[in-house]
Amino acid sequence: MAPVTLRHVKKSYGDAAVIHGVDIDIADGEFVVLVGPSGCGKSTLLRMVAGLETITDGEISIGPRVVNELDPKDRDIAMVFQNYALYPHMTVETNMGFSLEHRGASKAEITERVNWAADILGLVPLLKRYPRQLSGGQRQRVAMGRAIVRNPQVFLFDEPLSNLDAKLRVVMRGEIKSLHQRLGVTTIYVTHDQVEAMTMADKIVVLNAGKVEQIGAPLDLYDRPINQFVAGFIGSPSMNFIGGQITPDGFAAAGITLPLPPGLAPGNAVYGIRPEHFELSPAGVAATVLLVEPMGSETQVTMTLGEHQAIGVFRERVKASPGETIIVRPDPANVHLFDTTTGARIN
Amino acid sequence: MGVLLPKLGSQTPTQPPPRRGGAVRCLGWTPCHNLAVVSLPLWGGIKGGGIFAYTARVTPTPALPTRGREKEEAMTIPPRTRPFWTIERRDAVAGYAFIAPQLIGTIVFVLIPLALVFWYSLHEWNVLANTFTFKGAANYQHLLNDPALPQVLIASAIFSACLVVLNMTLAILLAVLLDQKLRGIVVFRTLFFSPVVVSLVAWTIVWGFLLQNNGGINGFLQMFGITGPNWLRNSTTAMISVVVVQVFKNVGLNMILFLAALQGVPKELYEAARVDGAPPFKQFRRITLPMISPTILLTSIITIVGSLQVFAQIAVLTQGGPGFSTTVLVYYLYQQAFQFHFFGYGSTLSILLFVIVAILTFAQWQLRKRIVFYEN
Amino acid sequence: MKTDLSPTIKTALYGLMCVLLIPFVFPTWWMITSSVKPISDIFAFPPDLWPRRFDFTTYGKVFELQPFAQQYWNSAYIAAIVTVGTMAFSSMAGYAFARIKFPGADFLFTIVLLGLLIPSEVTIVPLFQIFLKWGMINTHWPLILVPIFGAPSVFATFVMRQFFIALPGELEEAARVDGLGRFKIFWIIALPLAKPALGAVAIFTFLHSWNLYLEPIVFISSKNMFTLPQALTQFTDAYGGAMWNIQMAAATMTALPVLLVFIVAQKQFVEGLAHTGLKG
Repeated sequence: MAPVTLRHVKKSYGDAAVIHGVDIDIADGEFVVLVGPSGCGKSTLLRMVAGLETITDGEISIGPRVVNELDPKDRDIAMVFQNYALYPHMTVETNMGFSLEHRGASKAEITERVNWAADILGLVPLLKRYPRQLSGGQRQRVAMGRAIVRNPQVFLFDEPLSNLDAKLRVVMRGEIKSLHQRLGVTTIYVTHDQVEAMTMADKIVVLNAGKVEQIGAPLDLYDRPINQFVAGFIGSPSMNFIGGQITPDGFAAAGITLPLPPGLAPGNAVYGIRPEHFELSPAGVAATVLLVEPMGSETQVTMTLGEHQAIGVFRERVKASPGETIIVRPDPANVHLFDTTTGARIN
Repeated sequence: MGVLLPKLGSQTPTQPPPRRGGAVRCLGWTPCHNLAVVSLPLWGGIKGGGIFAYTARVTPTPALPTRGREKEEAMTIPPRTRPFWTIERRDAVAGYAFIAPQLIGTIVFVLIPLALVFWYSLHEWNVLANTFTFKGAANYQHLLNDPALPQVLIASAIFSACLVVLNMTLAILLAVLLDQKLRGIVVFRTLFFSPVVVSLVAWTIVWGFLLQNNGGINGFLQMFGITGPNWLRNSTTAMISVVVVQVFKNVGLNMILFLAALQGVPKELYEAARVDGAPPFKQFRRITLPMISPTILLTSIITIVGSLQVFAQIAVLTQGGPGFSTTVLVYYLYQQAFQFHFFGYGSTLSILLFVIVAILTFAQWQLRKRIVFYEN
Repeated sequence: MKTDLSPTIKTALYGLMCVLLIPFVFPTWWMITSSVKPISDIFAFPPDLWPRRFDFTTYGKVFELQPFAQQYWNSAYIAAIVTVGTMAFSSMAGYAFARIKFPGADFLFTIVLLGLLIPSEVTIVPLFQIFLKWGMINTHWPLILVPIFGAPSVFATFVMRQFFIALPGELEEAARVDGLGRFKIFWIIALPLAKPALGAVAIFTFLHSWNLYLEPIVFISSKNMFTLPQALTQFTDAYGGAMWNIQMAAATMTALPVLLVFIVAQKQFVEGLAHTGLKG
């Protein structure tokens, strides 16, 4: 295990810059998730740490060593690919032992390590099979087995769960997380799914268009997003945004006034409120119901507040039909305000 | 909140020094200058508490956290010069090594001879008198005035055209027939393909035998009271014979390629057409043909270029005769160069052949844009 | 267009295919049966589909009239060397062009592709002179070197490149992370997975070499060095007339081995071809 540091890392393809200077510090043993929309550069960054992409500028260090010019094999990392990348013409056992074979480990050592990894991941009955005979989840586990056999300093995961169906994804999430707790190896995990980020990470790095937007613990990002992008990206359904002005009487947006926490300077702003922070309260604002989606444990209501459309999530069963009016009140303690031009947080 | 920093050169020594010296590589092997950096590392708050203190920090400021690094180390890191053998350079060397045999071979055995052919075509080369005199464009003049050449070109054109049309039509027809779910279809496929693997000269000799005036084919026709022509000694039928022999030899290849292409057409397209009520022939015209158009184009290029190279059949069956009726360009070239020893003129004919092939290939490649409907 | 067909249509299709089969199958059949007929019977009328009488001495006479065994060996070993050599060099070059980034790759690939555009007939004259200068006329060197490096192998390189482009790149990345150098990645990961394409290349190359006719005629003059296609045309009697039944025997011996291999392995043949990527 080792800490990983990215310092002023940049990447260009010819004249096109895709990563514009990224600094990230990853502590020893930490589980860090790189998350962001498609094309934000998270996979590129991961591959630069792995050595599969060249680094145009900046430094990447694993432990005390700067690894920019090192081959992937010399960086002491292991990677789990999105499409598992299992060698189709080799058995599970050979797949897992492959890298050890090529480092000249003894047969005994290889067998021991492969069996150890297979045991942890429940792959022992599958050792003699070929990848084409395995299900998606099994292949995923073999890919992970191949990685842990190496006992590397850093694990790299490149969207490993994207090809699995929803139920399997939930199961595998838990397995990856418990594997990390058991082995304690520094892990960098890339995904576009913010639910995976929230549930698995010690620390989340939100990336957008090649730049870091915010780094922090999951709940930090959830409760105190530093700008509108992070606020809208983390959390599902996403935060509602309403443009308007901060006035002494509250937040004035076309047609409605919304409650504000005290002590804010007047001016234009974007009002952000998460769906679950609406409550059904007579002291609120009238909203016209557009759509009611009962999820069982909660009810998701799409509604219009004045001229603005918003989504609210309520613990209670909301008995209203489209077209009817309900009274909702956003909780002022959980209001986020953002600058209209920069998107940066105001409160 | 970012601040555009001045060039890092003005920073204090505890900064990782900017890259100088050894060319800082941007892609493209040209040095690039240090770029000003805008970066926003933002620290999250303290975990586990209700109160979050976080600041937006602008880097670099003098006290960069030296987590995992000794302070001395930060000061004694030399300017980051990239070693010569970067990952890309090592890989590039491997790349050159891999292609070297093929590339050198192509240059030595294909490109240099091509240049030489052109050089030879400018000379009159009398092997017996051992003279090699520069004649400029004289050979090309001769080419234009050669009374035999128009016939040769016509014969080549007829041969290629008939061959391509017959070959492609038969190949598609056979492929469609073989695409049906019939029992024993694999046997038929094997049999249709078998001439491809039979030795070329053997195949030609057998046909030569069958096409004789008293050979098998005329014998068969005789049974019905028909007197067959002297296939190989009559100008028109000689050409037909040569075309037919070549077509049946090689059509199996194209048939297999078309079969593979037909099987690659998604079934849903046909099902949708059936639901829409389209009859089979319309389905063929509107779905099958466009979907296999890349294959059609590629095979026609290969077939046409191949047709210009047909030598053995002509040499064995007709020796170019009767007269010039089956003397295609390649055979004429062979006669001039290796039977009459006119190496200079033979080279000129080679250049002509090359130009024709180049034009045809180029023209078909351009057609790709208009006719090929579906490209991978 | 696989719809369920009525029995009448099915019968019609079978009938059509049988008729179409005749020109494909009959020559081979004729070749085999004629090889054991006495020469007068070959011209018998009405023609015999099955020999009336058998004359097996034809096969022996083949070897008497020519150094046929030697010629057979010539064709065989040349084809073997050319096939192996082409598979090696074209797979390496195809892999490099598909997967390795190096400066000038596109340009160099275009140069190699030019080889496809230039039929071997165009360059035969200077090649003759080159080999003459190297003292290799009437040896087998031209028949080995030119196919391995010239136009036929360029097609093979093209096919291998198409195939390697289609291989998932993640497999190689995993191998790099596992610690393999470029050559090992090629040898252990890429090449074993390229069996279908390699099979197609092997078939094309072998057939091409086995069937070469112009090149042997130009480069080789002594009977011992002949290859089979050349030898087949030499079975003439004292008057220059073809000795048909002996010639058919020789032709059968030339064609039969490849034909038998094909019948046994026809599935691989056909699949290999379909994999050449010529589908577009």
